[in-house]
Amino acid sequence: MLNVFKDLYKYRELLKTNVKKEIRGKYKNSFLGVLWSFLNPLLQIAVYAIVFQLILKNPQENYAVFICCGLIPWTFFSSAITRSAFTMVENGNIIKKVYFPREILPISIVSSEAVNFLISTIIIIAFVLFGGVGISQYIIFYPLVLVAQYILLIAISLIVSSISVYVRDLQHLIGVALQLFFYATPIVYAADVIPAEFKWILNINPMTYIINAYRDIFYHHTMIDFVPLLLLIGGSLIGCIVGYLIFNKLQKGFAEQL
Amino acid sequence: MKEIEEYSIIVDDVYKTFNVYLDKANTIKEKLLFLFSRNRKQKRVVLEGIHTKIKKGEVVALIGTNGSGKSTLLKLMTKIIYPNKGKITTQGKLTSLLELGAGFHPDFSGRENIYFNASIFGLTRKEIDERIEDIIEFSELRPFIDNPVRTYSSGMYMRLAFSVAINVDADILLIDEILSVGDEHFQNKCFEKMLELKKQGKTMVFVTHSMESVKKLCDRTIWLYNGKIRMDGNTKEIVEEYVKETR
Repeated sequence: MLNVFKDLYKYRELLKTNVKKEIRGKYKNSFLGVLWSFLNPLLQIAVYAIVFQLILKNPQENYAVFICCGLIPWTFFSSAITRSAFTMVENGNIIKKVYFPREILPISIVSSEAVNFLISTIIIIAFVLFGGVGISQYIIFYPLVLVAQYILLIAISLIVSSISVYVRDLQHLIGVALQLFFYATPIVYAADVIPAEFKWILNINPMTYIINAYRDIFYHHTMIDFVPLLLLIGGSLIGCIVGYLIFNKLQKGFAEQL
Repeated sequence: MKEIEEYSIIVDDVYKTFNVYLDKANTIKEKLLFLFSRNRKQKRVVLEGIHTKIKKGEVVALIGTNGSGKSTLLKLMTKIIYPNKGKITTQGKLTSLLELGAGFHPDFSGRENIYFNASIFGLTRKEIDERIEDIIEFSELRPFIDNPVRTYSSGMYMRLAFSVAINVDADILLIDEILSVGDEHFQNKCFEKMLELKKQGKTMVFVTHSMESVKKLCDRTIWLYNGKIRMDGNTKEIVEEYVKETR
């Protein structure tokens, strides 16, 4: 197990160039370029605000800010997972020809999405400032929540990226599964509007705690719930170990499967 | 303990079979359908009980006809694929020149590609910075180094890739049929470099069909035949036998 970290450290330059390539390549061929990484979430927020506030009359105060605090972390979550499912097939060419620690690929996907999310946090901050909510001192806990989400994503992406080499359907299934997951997470609604008999769905969903924590920091301006967050970090670390074991087992056949 | 230090590569009773799918089932639907029609899969045994040890500083050639398992053995040593049975252990930093220019990005410049390609071989930024001059010098591509790689001719492309791989400073080099890089001048240069690396005490394993370079470069030759070692030993004797047999 210790060898993993030694290997990753040795190949840190590859990890760095890979992350840079992912970020640079993302908007390379589009006319508006980097602007899209801001425009895209703004337009999405506009859509949800129109549907849920104007048409369905959601009573939540400052609804656009409320959505924003949930939607942007969600985008980090969903795009990291979606892209993990494709990364092995996309890089099949290199995998078949050169040896390098394969786990570099999912890790660089999650890392580049984390950087994207860090940049998108500007949007959240702009929303709370111009939406009249303001910024609280609880913002110091933002890195902790980010780390929790990062570890959770590493665990998921190790599993998703390796299995999708063998079962290509996963790439399509994940899109639908994430959509379902989206509505099972309190993003467009607040957790307390859910009827008691369905509450368990939110309770077993790890993203609930992450979104709630971001919302406590930026929207409610209250102390975050430490206990579930620390439990989540612990659980995700175990998930990383399990994910790595699965990944390591499956990666031996990558070159033959691709 | 001493024995392990002495050897660069230990191949211990290695078996490798490939499943050859006549029709490959990648999706769940296809997999379900294929459950009912079983015989679309063939097993092909590529390596059968390979047993060999390569000492530090030894330069070994793997020869054999097409399909005898040479390249598979080399891929197993690099850890691109894994054996079904048996074990392969390697000691020291290993670089494989199996296919040159893997991961070259056509839109990036030659220089950027050197950084990217060298990082795949596990070099850090600092190590690449130290080597970049040598790499450019060796490739003789200095006037074009900042042009995108897609503007290179195929010979230039190979020269750049070879220069990166050869300058990685590995202890073990695995080389698959690439002594035919570039024009004659560059080929000679590569050959010189190989001899130099041999003198420095690097372990090298070649896969090649050129008996001329085998004789000039390698002390030891392993002849693979249908996935088994047919002969193993002194280059001169084995090449003689091999030429006799395949004539």
